[in-house]
Amino acid sequence: MEDKEKISIVDLNQAQNLIQWCPGCGDFGILAAIKKAIVILQIDPKDVVIVSGIGCSSKLPHYIKTYSIETLHGRTLPVATAIKLANKNLHVIVVGGDGDGYGIGMGHFIHAMRRNVNITYIVLNNGVYALTKGQASPTTKKGEKTSSTPNGTVEEPINPLALSILNGATFVARGYSGDLISLSDIISKAIVHEGFSHIDVLQLCPSYQSKKIMENITSSTEKMPNLAFEYIENKNLALAKVLDENKKMEIGIFYKVKKENLYDPFLNLNPRIFDNIEHIDLSKVKKYFK
Amino acid sequence: MDISIKLSGPAGSGVFTLGALVSKLFIKVGYNTVCTFDYPSLIKGGHNVCCVRISSETINSEKKEHDILIAFDKLALTQDYSSVKPFGHLFFDKNIDFSNDKHKINKIDFTQIKENPRMTNSFVFGIIGNFLITDNIILENTLLNYFKSKDKKIQEENIIFLRKGLEFSRSNNFNYNEKIKYISKNKDKLFMTGNDACCLGAIKAGVKFVAGYPMTPASTFLTFMAEVSNEYNIVVKQTEDEIAAINMVIGASFAGLRSMTATSGGGFALMTEAMGFAAMSENPIVVFESQRSGPSTGLPTYTEQGDLNFVLNCSQGDFPLVVISPGDLNECFYESFNAFNIADLVQTPVIVLLDKHISGSYFSIDDFDEKNLNIDRGKLLKEVLNYKEFKRYEFTTDGASNRTIPGMKNGIYISSSYEHDETGFTTEDPIVHKKMMDKRFSKLSLIDENRILPKIYGPKDSKLTLVGWGSSKGAIIDAINELNKNGFNVNYMHFVYLNPMPKEKIKKMLDSCSDLMIIEGNMSGQFRDLLHKNTKVWIENSYFRYDGRPFFYEDIVQKVKEHLQRNKN
Repeated sequence: MEDKEKISIVDLNQAQNLIQWCPGCGDFGILAAIKKAIVILQIDPKDVVIVSGIGCSSKLPHYIKTYSIETLHGRTLPVATAIKLANKNLHVIVVGGDGDGYGIGMGHFIHAMRRNVNITYIVLNNGVYALTKGQASPTTKKGEKTSSTPNGTVEEPINPLALSILNGATFVARGYSGDLISLSDIISKAIVHEGFSHIDVLQLCPSYQSKKIMENITSSTEKMPNLAFEYIENKNLALAKVLDENKKMEIGIFYKVKKENLYDPFLNLNPRIFDNIEHIDLSKVKKYFK
Repeated sequence: MDISIKLSGPAGSGVFTLGALVSKLFIKVGYNTVCTFDYPSLIKGGHNVCCVRISSETINSEKKEHDILIAFDKLALTQDYSSVKPFGHLFFDKNIDFSNDKHKINKIDFTQIKENPRMTNSFVFGIIGNFLITDNIILENTLLNYFKSKDKKIQEENIIFLRKGLEFSRSNNFNYNEKIKYISKNKDKLFMTGNDACCLGAIKAGVKFVAGYPMTPASTFLTFMAEVSNEYNIVVKQTEDEIAAINMVIGASFAGLRSMTATSGGGFALMTEAMGFAAMSENPIVVFESQRSGPSTGLPTYTEQGDLNFVLNCSQGDFPLVVISPGDLNECFYESFNAFNIADLVQTPVIVLLDKHISGSYFSIDDFDEKNLNIDRGKLLKEVLNYKEFKRYEFTTDGASNRTIPGMKNGIYISSSYEHDETGFTTEDPIVHKKMMDKRFSKLSLIDENRILPKIYGPKDSKLTLVGWGSSKGAIIDAINELNKNGFNVNYMHFVYLNPMPKEKIKKMLDSCSDLMIIEGNMSGQFRDLLHKNTKVWIENSYFRYDGRPFFYEDIVQKVKEHLQRNKN
């Protein structure tokens, strides 16, 4: 048993890697909030797995010293789910963009939440596909002009928090990349929460979002009045809140309930990675064929 | 003794249950059996066929012509009676208006079971049982064993109808040409499909994570592993689609578990991007692909060997891939076990390529010898001893680097789908990229070449060598046995490991043959092309089958005779 040294932010630094995000990118704030949350909770970095997709946001593993896996575009949630099932002692944090998670990854998003696996899903939502240079995403506002929709997008943007409240997520929150204190608090509560946590983080893309939108975000992100860091247990009330057209930029925890985790049938046993697989006895199963 | 019994009727009439009962009866008295199951893609109605071949010799495939037909409706009778030999027996409902002077007709009066249609199988089993063998006790034991998981009342009811069938058979003097004698009493062979044998191999190999999406003919992987999941503490999950399945398998592997999925061509098509991901991130996985007739949705319940090209070239870019195609139940068991060791050794995906014929046919087999099966997890570390920055993708002499799993102290790294340097960080450096490409590929050399050469069955020096792979083995072996019994001199070169291939050694083997004929179940000769690509040897003589049906040894015998005759002239 080694000395329990206090974990500091220095332990999480990947010193040699120059961060390749644009100056002013919201990803910096989210990275800082994730690091802060890990330090607040004093989690050993070796027990954290960051699962990222493809996109600017998904470069995050390079800038934090924990185990990570950089997966395929839209496929973070199946990978993360399996990692948690393999070793429930790990803290699994999923990061990806709005295109990665709500576009190509939408199918996995819905089904992952139904399972209520104990992982934390942080979506870095800037309303645009930045790494491929500015195409529309599922959260792009209707009518907005982007490189792939020069006449303005015609589809309705999705409402990610409404989807997660409806489909089985048991911790649903919205954050803002520019507010380190509230975001790191939300993230640490999400990590502690035993169940599927979904945090949609509004952020700026200084390269591909229009100035107008940037002004909108900075001026309207407001903490939910009277509900900052408290949460609703009633699904209908929480849903009504996220569907409110006038309060699209409120940050805080909208919904939090405690639900049984049935997805891992052996949750009370040691993680399977410690099972001995030498000399497995097949006689128990051969009886099916006699 | 070598007879074949065909049972056919609409789905839901118990064709397969009866086939299984007859198979198990004969296994009990010491015979070998091959039981194939032919069915269209639906749940009720249509025309299901079960062929049971029983022999005192070792047999590896079904027969084309049958000695006995049991037809459950008029459609079955009219479709299948012509496949019965002259003087063979036909069994059918007496109310069906049918006559034929080539065959012996045995009419069954189903009035007794009109009130109890669920007892049809036991009733007919009693009729057939008495027809073929003299021992009622063994018939009853077989039936009880088959229904051992059912309620006692149900077991008793089935026995009553079994006896009614026996009595009916006796009073109508149903008798086979000679009653079949036992070879031995209560032989304890196993009776299972290729999928079952693969599952046993995987369980023995310590698989702990199975994710899958139902798809014929691979669905029984999912359902069987789910059935035994509690027993062996295996996570078995049905996912929302095949893309989720393969990505879960990769996640579980990254976290340290041996993991697998199983699918068919169409499902594998959805997994292709992830195959490259597993190879690039060097996470070992095993994928069972059971081919069916294609292309596209194709014939979901019929067989073909048409996905070879597809699996060999399944993802963008060059990366190491192992493809193994077992040809019989023993190979299914042992090579599935080996697949997991190889995956850990080479740290890359391994595909076990099956097809509906081997996945869904039942064979009797002696118990597997589990003595020399050793788990080898390759370079998976138990702990990291030095405190420098861990290099997951370190350049080594053999290409394989040490592996850590999340939770291990001092083992932090990034597992990446991007090109990366030794620590896992993304890089676009030209020198590193080339070096990493070479590193990944060089891992294939870790596999001992001598272990993956094809095997020759039959006489060493022969006039003609048949070349084949995967499940064609059964029919080809039966064919060469038949041919060699009749004075021909033919052998068979059987390939199980399709990639990598020890090119020089195989070229030598092919060049040393007097004459070659390639036999495979696809239209374009995909394995013939692969051999040519790897060894420059082109096999001109060919027998391809791509009608959704497996090879019959009788047809192979015919083709070989024709070829040898042509050569003479």
